[in-house]
Amino acid sequence: MYEYSEFDTAFVRERVAQFRAQVERRIDGALTEDEFKPLRLMNGLYLQLHAYMLRVAVPYGTLDPAKMRQLAHIAERWDKGYGHFTTRQNIQFNWPRLRDVPDMLDALADVGMHAIQTSGNTIRNVTSDHFAGAAADEIADPRPFAELIRQWSTDHPEFQFLPRKFKVAVTGSPNDRAVIKSHDIGLRMLRKGDEIGFEVVLGGGLGRTPMIAKVIRDFLPVADLLPYLESIVSVYNQLGRRDNKFKARVKITVHEHGIDRIRELVEAEFALRRSTFGGADQQILREIEARFRRPTLRDGRPADAYEASRAADPVFRAWADTNLVAHRHPDHAIVTISLKAHGATPGDASADQMRVMADLAEEFGHDELRVSHEQNIVLPHVHKADLPAVHARLAAAGLGTANIGLVSDIIACPGMDYCALATARSIPIAQQIATRFDELKLEHDIGPIKLKISGCINACGHHHVGHIGILGLDRAGVENYQITLGGDGTEAASIGERTGPGFPADEIVGAVERLIGAYLKHRESAEETFLETYRRLGMAPFKEALYGDERQRNAA
Amino acid sequence: MATKGKEMPLESALAPAADRVAHLNARYRNHAAQAVLERALGDAQVGRVALVSSFGAESVVLLHMLSVIDRSTPVLFIDTRMLFEETLTYQADVAATLGLTDVRTIRARPEALAAHDPDGVLHRSDTDACCALRKVEPLERALAHFDAWITGRKRFQGGRRAVLDFFENEDDRRIKVNPLAHWRPEDVQDYIVNNRLPRHPLVARGFPSIGCAPCTSRVAAGENPRAGRWRDQDKDECGIHFVNGRAVRGPQPAPQEEPEMNVIVTDRGFAPDDWTQGFHRPETLGEATGNGVLALDLPSDADPCDLADHLGRVTMIRVDFPSFADGRGFTLARRLRLMGFKGRLRARGHVIADQYAMARRAGFDEIEIAPDLARRQPEAQWRRRSAWQAHDYQSRLRGLA
Repeated sequence: MYEYSEFDTAFVRERVAQFRAQVERRIDGALTEDEFKPLRLMNGLYLQLHAYMLRVAVPYGTLDPAKMRQLAHIAERWDKGYGHFTTRQNIQFNWPRLRDVPDMLDALADVGMHAIQTSGNTIRNVTSDHFAGAAADEIADPRPFAELIRQWSTDHPEFQFLPRKFKVAVTGSPNDRAVIKSHDIGLRMLRKGDEIGFEVVLGGGLGRTPMIAKVIRDFLPVADLLPYLESIVSVYNQLGRRDNKFKARVKITVHEHGIDRIRELVEAEFALRRSTFGGADQQILREIEARFRRPTLRDGRPADAYEASRAADPVFRAWADTNLVAHRHPDHAIVTISLKAHGATPGDASADQMRVMADLAEEFGHDELRVSHEQNIVLPHVHKADLPAVHARLAAAGLGTANIGLVSDIIACPGMDYCALATARSIPIAQQIATRFDELKLEHDIGPIKLKISGCINACGHHHVGHIGILGLDRAGVENYQITLGGDGTEAASIGERTGPGFPADEIVGAVERLIGAYLKHRESAEETFLETYRRLGMAPFKEALYGDERQRNAA
Repeated sequence: MATKGKEMPLESALAPAADRVAHLNARYRNHAAQAVLERALGDAQVGRVALVSSFGAESVVLLHMLSVIDRSTPVLFIDTRMLFEETLTYQADVAATLGLTDVRTIRARPEALAAHDPDGVLHRSDTDACCALRKVEPLERALAHFDAWITGRKRFQGGRRAVLDFFENEDDRRIKVNPLAHWRPEDVQDYIVNNRLPRHPLVARGFPSIGCAPCTSRVAAGENPRAGRWRDQDKDECGIHFVNGRAVRGPQPAPQEEPEMNVIVTDRGFAPDDWTQGFHRPETLGEATGNGVLALDLPSDADPCDLADHLGRVTMIRVDFPSFADGRGFTLARRLRLMGFKGRLRARGHVIADQYAMARRAGFDEIEIAPDLARRQPEAQWRRRSAWQAHDYQSRLRGLA
């Protein structure tokens, strides 16, 4: 995987030194709070409900054991012994002290990590497919491109004070596992003849105004990537609204001016900027690609132990059925470690658990770990013969939950338990739903389903693209949970539709249970997923399950 | 909605009041009263804040503004025990009508009254001593818990109020906030009418400024509204608004306005502005006859394409930064350079030291900042970023490093 070059290392150290000075200048008054705020945000430091929160970038979700162990160390030394993995492949520490943050950033720099541009109105951490480099359906590993974009966007002098935050996602497969159509810019890799390039989509987003991104360029050659991205962002920097925070994202700029007008402006800008890179960026891309060498997988080692365990151990079999994905090499598997133990906080991992995952990556996984946008950890290259040992070690550390892709594999934002913006709790709702379906022992029968919960309209829990989405709102001081159905974050992206009036906190678990009951009753076979049933039948049977028969309601 | 208290918990004491006042006045120079009040209630630099109100003739304006923004803000009402009965009734009515939830009535300590004015006649022999006993000292005790207080004073009231700013430094102890400083008498009346606010009953009876009953008299048409306060005495303030804590008699000299110059920041540090030729706006550029010393002031929302025909004859372009958080100027600079502008490129306005490297990398040669910013972020803080070519991903990706 990518190791920092000398340049990267020197850059990050310099940046930490700058931030250390900025913290001092804030404390002595040279910087006002207004002025300090964007500077701390550029370095990942938020102010949450109770304390600061430091958001650390995991570029394109890739970690190695040394990095994971350092995260464990930071969690123990400066925080409360755990970290929270997020939907944007970052990790958040919820309890740092302002004065400690420069030391935490130095500790990150020791292993080639940083918190740069994980917040603020800048280009954020570039996200990618968490199965990159391992998936069977991949055209090329998207991470070198994501790394190139990281270098280009880091400290970009034009784009540190954009109208609003700006998120880019890259996927290397036609199957979109990076939710690119919900990003400001999404890059989907395509092959055209012998040439590799990207379909570029612009103006997606969730939040209070969910929008599916629109195609601005159907094929962009790799060599034009940076000047074209720069053209898009510079047009947005000039045109994006600065009068209203809620209308400042590029999705609104695209909506107000139309994608065709934006395309014209971008192409005009591109004509000016195309020549400014002169090929140096492509040379750097080749150097980056060389650093993403694929691990040397061992051929010929029998996978009998795997089959034997499957036959003998139903717990292992259940885990293997849900938590493994096909590797491009048939003797290997991609392991997803669930951070969604029933009743636990989705996405949280303790320092000890981080160390267990680091050890497993070292012993069995070619030193690779990934953070998925669904808030789980991935071991992308595990030989099948090692899976029983991996599972046993995970289970012993409380990481053996067999629920990937199932109803308890819930994405939830931090909600009112941590977040200053939230209007309702999300984590306790996720915990209650997971616990309930664990009691019902129906999870595996229900099969693949995406349930996503946001604690406010800003939609950090991606509820718009959940097959079942739950949005927690404040209705006159009382938490109220609205349900949307039919959202989808894949290449067939769609925004969920509201079912009707919301439910109070003590009724939402029952409501979800009734929805699932309706699905089980109406599905044509066990193979038809919840989303497929919804798309076939529409809203009616689910509405009836939620609110009762319409005629009865009218009569009542 | 963000309220005070949601501000970042500052992990150090507030900066000296004088520095904060200078900065706050610069920051809110062009704001309206409501905005000043709203921000004063939430600005970490202001700190804990209370409104001090006499519930007099014009007090209802600020009280109403406050009730709209945050009804729970502490309101301090000084009951000197010498007030008109009408004022006490009006005070209760207004507080109830506006729904103010934290009105604190401030009174002199009984033992102090017993010691210095047992018969309530001190005002006849020494109004200053009476004010000190019944207003200044009680308020001082009440304000000990606050970093700042809001007053309703206005420039038009004359006397030493004629040069009032939004923010004042009170003896390096506290900040006084005067949201209505720039209001004219008609603004006050319009606000009361438009918002259908209850009026103090004595106004209709000829009292445009209302203090304690013994020392307030009617005002005739054409007189200063405060003429009825301590009439026939050499006194126009009770003492809570004295300059530097002292009573200042006679007309106040206007403060010496030192015409301070903006500072130009380059890689070499601070320097005075050497450009004396003035600036054109883009719309007057066509009329300007170019003789090689043409300079242009560019607002941040300008479209550089409109300048394409003129770039060759412009010597200097100055790009405005209305706020350091508005990054349009960086892209403007980059565009101008890409369009071939080779002249002098200057950023002007709210650019902070931390943005120096960005500005230089985007194509600016220099930055013009106001004196107060230069004081707050002195030269050393800018020079720390003068090695802006180092650690630059952009020049590396473009083969320039």
